[in-house]
Amino acid sequence: MKKRSSRRALNQYSHWQYVVLIATLLLMLLSALPSWYGESPALQLNYPQSSATSEHLVMLDPLALRHALIQQGIELKQIKQDQATTWVVLNDAKQLPLAKQVLQKMSDEQGIPDTQLTLASVANAPYWLTQLGFNPIALGLDLRGGVQFLLDVDMAPVYQSQTEQLKKELGAWLREHNMRGGQFKELSADGFTLLLANESYRTELRDHLNSQYRQWQIIGSGDELRLVRSETEQVALRNLTVQQNLQIMRSRIEELGITEAAVQRQGEHRIRIELPGVQDPAQAKNVIGATASLAFYQVLADDALSGQAILDEQGRPVRVAQVPVLTGEHIVDARASLGEMGMAEVNISLDSQGGRMMADFSRQNIGKPMATAYSEYSRNQQGEVVQSNKIISVATIQSGLGAKFRITGAGSMQDAQSLALLLRAGSLTAPVTIVEERTIGPTLGAENISNGFSALALGLGMTLVFMALWYRRLGWIANIALLANMVMLFGLLALIPGAVLTLPGIAGLVLTVGMAVDTNVLIFERIRDKLKEGNSVARAIDSGFSSATSTIFDANFTTMITAIVLYSLGNGPIQGFALTLGLGLLTSMFTGIFASRAMINWFWGNDTRRSVRI
Amino acid sequence: MTQLLNMKNASQWRYGTSVISILLLCTSLFFIVTKGFNWGLDFTGGVVSEIQVSQQITNSELSPLLEAGLGQKVSVVASDEPGRWVIRYSVPENMNTTAVSIEALLAPLSGEVQVLNTSIVGPQVGQELAEQGGLALLVCMLCIMVYLSIRFEWRLALGSLVALVHDVVFVLGFFALSQMEFNLTVLAAVLAILGYSLNDSIIIADRIRELLRLKPDAATADINNQAIAATFTRTMITSGTTLITVSALWLLGGASLAGFAIAMFIGILAGTWSSIAVGTSLPEVLGLKPEHYQEVALPDTP
Repeated sequence: MKKRSSRRALNQYSHWQYVVLIATLLLMLLSALPSWYGESPALQLNYPQSSATSEHLVMLDPLALRHALIQQGIELKQIKQDQATTWVVLNDAKQLPLAKQVLQKMSDEQGIPDTQLTLASVANAPYWLTQLGFNPIALGLDLRGGVQFLLDVDMAPVYQSQTEQLKKELGAWLREHNMRGGQFKELSADGFTLLLANESYRTELRDHLNSQYRQWQIIGSGDELRLVRSETEQVALRNLTVQQNLQIMRSRIEELGITEAAVQRQGEHRIRIELPGVQDPAQAKNVIGATASLAFYQVLADDALSGQAILDEQGRPVRVAQVPVLTGEHIVDARASLGEMGMAEVNISLDSQGGRMMADFSRQNIGKPMATAYSEYSRNQQGEVVQSNKIISVATIQSGLGAKFRITGAGSMQDAQSLALLLRAGSLTAPVTIVEERTIGPTLGAENISNGFSALALGLGMTLVFMALWYRRLGWIANIALLANMVMLFGLLALIPGAVLTLPGIAGLVLTVGMAVDTNVLIFERIRDKLKEGNSVARAIDSGFSSATSTIFDANFTTMITAIVLYSLGNGPIQGFALTLGLGLLTSMFTGIFASRAMINWFWGNDTRRSVRI
Repeated sequence: MTQLLNMKNASQWRYGTSVISILLLCTSLFFIVTKGFNWGLDFTGGVVSEIQVSQQITNSELSPLLEAGLGQKVSVVASDEPGRWVIRYSVPENMNTTAVSIEALLAPLSGEVQVLNTSIVGPQVGQELAEQGGLALLVCMLCIMVYLSIRFEWRLALGSLVALVHDVVFVLGFFALSQMEFNLTVLAAVLAILGYSLNDSIIIADRIRELLRLKPDAATADINNQAIAATFTRTMITSGTTLITVSALWLLGGASLAGFAIAMFIGILAGTWSSIAVGTSLPEVLGLKPEHYQEVALPDTP
């Protein structure tokens, strides 16, 4: 009796363990399913609010759309429409540009030329699946086709101009305080040496620097001062500049109309732009390479006859003077901060010439509004230069403004920060150069997918056959565990935000198939050893699992190290490889140890036979 | 079979294969030093474009058109599939401006010209990627060394480490000898080999450790042989299934994954070989004895 109860406890998983296992697998299966159906290229039509004559938006008629597209020989999969958006789903990504032309022409003819046409992709999975929040795995550009740019933000000119500004300001200050005869030497981007005419000037100058220019370090003694930009300032300036460029790029890319475009910072001073579905890099390059400028305008009365009207961000026209008070090249710096009243404000520094111009203007216009306009010059598809203007802020002049002044009323701190970034954009924008460009055509992307997955299918098939032949019944356990492993891997890839499947990622999947059976092989070999030693089946299973577990952990740990290192140091496709490799190790431990134990317990858990082969 | 290889002469086999390993290692190093690598675009920078033209068009029609249009030397190599060509040239001065369209340059040719993919990598980025890759390799090695030294006695750890270096050098040697393109995915494969090769070594080392504790009076050479015999089926099956899947990748994965698959294939072969030969023989030569695992046994047990 006693003996029996101890055997029962040997290979017993409790009910909740089975529940956890089955629930996890079901969840992962649901998550993996949409990827099985895949995605189709689509065009998304968003209708402009202003075109609404009544409460309803003017929308294109789906039947007319269908007719027009089929006439052009475009293969349609589906047209979906809800209250504000139409999706036109195609079969072939190569027909997207043609379809876009047709749709643009149609919306022009219908009197809604402002309709936004964006490239998108639509999941093919049944409605109930997407409704549950499960989406297909995000594919890398090497699998879906598209254009990718890596931009380098050149910091040298930013440092250079800031240093020169300091030099100018210090020269002026020295003259003002009758400390003439100072000499500037060894001017570089990072700082310069100031040789004072008299050592006694040092203390006063030092106090001035410490109060006004904390971001500069003072080195040296006597009449020689070396001013060097502090490390923190260097980093802060770089972060600001890259942030600013990121923001500019994001708003520019938005205009390209690609829903899944990604603009991310990479490393210290790089920006990665991914444009899935784009087939021609030329247009994207024109948009990325646009130059921005900034100007301050006097705001005129709405009924004024002179001047020009520029739209603000809400689309309302603002009437401003024809000629700006000041243009952006005079802005030296702009930073957001919290003012005395806890209101967000933007502090702007102008160079000396700009300071004089602003002082003259503001003295005569106290209490009147002043507008800030942001404009961008870019090339359109025909290669012509196009200018776009936008009023980004209107503020009231509170007092006479000089070289340093504040703009309040920008809104929240976040608004103030983005205004500051835009203001800086008009001034010392760091030159941005494209250092890497990759274009993958849709044909090659589709080919990569089919190649990768046929290799996966072949590898998986051969492994399944081999395991079934070699281990027979235990082999089927291993095979079910392997299939469960694949389901979990796909499920996790779809579930983890930011996880992207790339071509090397598929290679990682294939490798995982080969390596995942190792867990089962290690356990099975131990079980066979124990059986040979004369243990009962149940006992052999128990000690086989427990002795193999530490070895499995040891063996997987080193591959995990390489996966983690690869993920943290790699980029794009390589990260995809590291991801599937690392995740594959985790899922293979889960299915190889936990899931196969559950199955083996179920079948042989109480098997007390000895000297049998299983 | 039993006459050729049995428990008695297994040690001779191990020593013999270890000597072969060392010879192969030296040969690989020789090729790496003398021939160097055929670095891919990822590391050197440059422009690579793959195009599809009608199958009758030959290199002699493509090259003059491209060289005239781009104003520089252009390398045009046929790809695996008919009608596909890989074009390489150096990066234009200013990458911000739109580059000359290859489609437009090849317009005079009969039939449709399709650009399948284009990669333009600035020289600076290539340099950085190479440095990053080297760093990844170094960090991996360091992490693995730390892990091994914690987990195993130093002689066993060193055996696994030498086996590891052997595998990586062997794969690198093959790429130097064959002058196949060494790109980022091949580097990823080399790093994966680091993890995989250790897999085998650790499983054998685990057994050696277990047996050393169980049989304090046995000779180390016998224990090693027993450990290898006990894990041999597992080693063969796992290497076998991994080789199967990697071959599937090699066969069907297309040109972009060929380098990866070949590197993995060689790495797995070398890894299996070295973990049995060098990985076990070196600790023996260094004087690994059962008593090394008698005292340290306590802190190691979980």
